[in-house]
Amino acid sequence: MIELHLLILVIVVSFGFVFSYLAMKEHDLLKALALSSVQSTFFALGFYILAAPDIVLAYLAIAVGAYTALVILAISKTERYEVGE
Amino acid sequence: MKRDALVAASFLIAFIFIAYVVTVKNILGLGGEELRPLSEFYLSHAFAHEGLTSHSPEVVTAIVWNYRGFDTLFETFVFFLAIMGALSILRLDREQLEHARELEGSMPHRQMDLIVKATTKLVVVMIIAISASIALHGHLTPGGGFQGGSAMAVAALLLFAAFSKFTLERRGLTLKHTISAYAAGLALILATILAPVVLYGGKVLEINLLPGETGLFNLDVGEYTAVTFGFLTVFLILGIPEWVFKNILRRELND
Repeated sequence: MIELHLLILVIVVSFGFVFSYLAMKEHDLLKALALSSVQSTFFALGFYILAAPDIVLAYLAIAVGAYTALVILAISKTERYEVGE
Repeated sequence: MKRDALVAASFLIAFIFIAYVVTVKNILGLGGEELRPLSEFYLSHAFAHEGLTSHSPEVVTAIVWNYRGFDTLFETFVFFLAIMGALSILRLDREQLEHARELEGSMPHRQMDLIVKATTKLVVVMIIAISASIALHGHLTPGGGFQGGSAMAVAALLLFAAFSKFTLERRGLTLKHTISAYAAGLALILATILAPVVLYGGKVLEINLLPGETGLFNLDVGEYTAVTFGFLTVFLILGIPEWVFKNILRRELND
């Protein structure tokens, strides 16, 4: 039968997918960045359920901290709103 | 909008279907409780007293730095190349750096709120302690040099956000110092992988010849320093505002 942790894994990663989709559709780049870091938090939970704590430690620090900061620096050198279409 | 919702829902359904088929129906043969011979080797040898052991109860670190050490070594080199690439694209000579610092100093200085500053100080101390425990206990508990280093880089980023880059540079966190510390970390890694050859006549990266867990510990500390200061180098050079860069370039054109 389905084990409980696999069920939690599916729920958590589905939330991650939802947030990554929202991040893709967002035209305000800073908001998209915030959504994408929420998505990485869910994926980090997924990695924890998959018993990979080493990955969790690196993934959280990189995806929520370093990656977000790099992209904010990149946005500060261009424009905040995505235009077109 | 309706099409978007449809696309999202179909992706979700496809994902849940694949997850069900792979985990419950075990269609790829990934499930099961039995160990494969390779994982049995790692589990039985990583913390043994003789043979090809790496004296570490943390099997992941043992694989990352000992059994698959060359992978990690070349990963470190790739990281090095990325940072060198960023530095060579955005490089400034000494005079230009002076000029950039003057321009940044002349910017109207906006202070953060007292609450933000005090909280950041507390949180930064905690993050530094945790990152040190992740990195220095990398051979005992989950974690290692890269994980600890990236956590430490996040602490420095919080300081950037709360106190501005200019304040930190005035306190001594300059590009010269971060690059020197990065080089020191890489030197520690190189010294550790060459030590077995020089001291014991072994092969490169045969760190189980070194006494106890010294090899893994040194590599973790080296990677910790290298990753922390590598990230900091990139952030310091990327954190220079765009108008300062433009000002410097214009001056170069006029000369």
